[in-house]
Amino acid sequence: MTLIVDLGRNGYSDVGVPTSAVLDEFACRALYALLDSPDTAVLEVTGPRFALQFHDDTVCAITGARVLAFLDDKPLRPWASFHAGSGSVLRIREVREGFRYYIGFGGGIGIDKVMGSYATNLECRFGGWQGRPLVGGDILTLTPAGKAATRYFPEDMIPAMSSPHRLRVISGPESDFFTPSSLSAFWGKGGAEFFTVSTKLNRTGIRLEGPPLHFRDEAPRSIISEGILPGTVQVPGDGLPIVMLHERTIGGYARAAMVARADRDRLAHLRPGDLVGFEFISLEEAADQWREQKKTMDDFPALCR
Amino acid sequence: MIVQPYAENALRIIFGNSIDLKIHDRVRRAFFICRALKHQYILEIVPSFCACVITYDEDKTSFAELADLLRERLLDLSAVEMPPPRVHEIPVRYGGEYGPDLAFVARHCHLSPEEVIARHTATTYTVYTVGFTPGFPYLGNLDEALDTPRLETPRTRIPAGSVGIAQRQTGIYPFESPAGWRIIGRTSVRLFDTTQSPYSLMEIGDKVRFYEVS
Repeated sequence: MTLIVDLGRNGYSDVGVPTSAVLDEFACRALYALLDSPDTAVLEVTGPRFALQFHDDTVCAITGARVLAFLDDKPLRPWASFHAGSGSVLRIREVREGFRYYIGFGGGIGIDKVMGSYATNLECRFGGWQGRPLVGGDILTLTPAGKAATRYFPEDMIPAMSSPHRLRVISGPESDFFTPSSLSAFWGKGGAEFFTVSTKLNRTGIRLEGPPLHFRDEAPRSIISEGILPGTVQVPGDGLPIVMLHERTIGGYARAAMVARADRDRLAHLRPGDLVGFEFISLEEAADQWREQKKTMDDFPALCR
Repeated sequence: MIVQPYAENALRIIFGNSIDLKIHDRVRRAFFICRALKHQYILEIVPSFCACVITYDEDKTSFAELADLLRERLLDLSAVEMPPPRVHEIPVRYGGEYGPDLAFVARHCHLSPEEVIARHTATTYTVYTVGFTPGFPYLGNLDEALDTPRLETPRTRIPAGSVGIAQRQTGIYPFESPAGWRIIGRTSVRLFDTTQSPYSLMEIGDKVRFYEVS
């Protein structure tokens, strides 16, 4: 599936509008830096086959999942920008590591924002490209940009994206709904059990399979719906966690944990069958790590050469 | 009122733990005050039944600083002049193809379909919160005689405008979407429009009355 995304539709969550933001913000910001086109619309692609023909000379870049990409017959370096001449064809032939990859263009895609964002709200069919995924035959207009130099992102800073995924979590508002032994199995340091990513996975959430969390006898099995954030780990009555992504503003299941902000982008790369393990950290540690990662992302323009 | 950290850049303001108009009124007042602050570091405010969740710019402020400010500003909620709630009159076609679950609800509640409609249209509802999808109002409280559980298996797709009930709540689906509530009717009123502000017809605290049309 190919969707138009950006950093998200912010400011309307009081009337239930989710951000529908890019799932891997790190990769998106890298794309912006490579193309020198911040805050533009980019493509979020899943699947091993993708092809696009250029009708004009442009600069393009691919980040996110490590893919085998070719411009005509020339293999492309990952996480780098390149010149694509009129008539050339970009082909993705294989996804080697990770799940979602991002394709951006110098100047960005020429579409209108809806409620302040280019992101696609797939469920309600607005934003992005006519509110729907791109299909074969769609023709995108690119916003003209000056001739940009090609750049690459430092190889040693490309994050790992393969299974098993270790995700740091902080305590959720209802973590005390669960028995201490099942919580330590869920997020215990070193001893945590692995979950398997199920096939029930989309931009709203990721359902995991594995050892269920056990509710304490006296704990309710649901809560009165309240605001949730991307990365919230909700646990319905069956005890199997659902990691919420960017398409809901409120939720009614117990929130056992929240994926630390610094590890949230990794959620974009969970594929059915992958293994996921959680590790508890304090809110202070999570905040420190997020501050560091943000500093890194702020440095992207200087790091891309 | 309890102010609690929620995430690296978010906090919760908690006013209670039940679906109750008094708690709702405090949430609504807090939401209006927070919104009126136009505080440049407050990015999102999500009011719900018993709490407000606030997302903030953690580069510019800290939990401690923002929590102090909010505790001070929300100290006397009753002192705030509130705008009167907007009232929405919503026409509904009940039953048949518009409300496929009306017959089930009637059987479940030991009422006739006409009595279900009469009771559903007799109440003035309050918008407790807006969510699930953009513009979806959670309306309460539903007449207790109409208390019906959610579907065990949600429908994958129902038409926009569908009016549903679940336990002591009723609501309107603004978009064609999946739905776990019992659908008893449909309205032609547009609840959400991405092309004009305000985008959502309803917000927290609005009042809603349904009336039957054929």
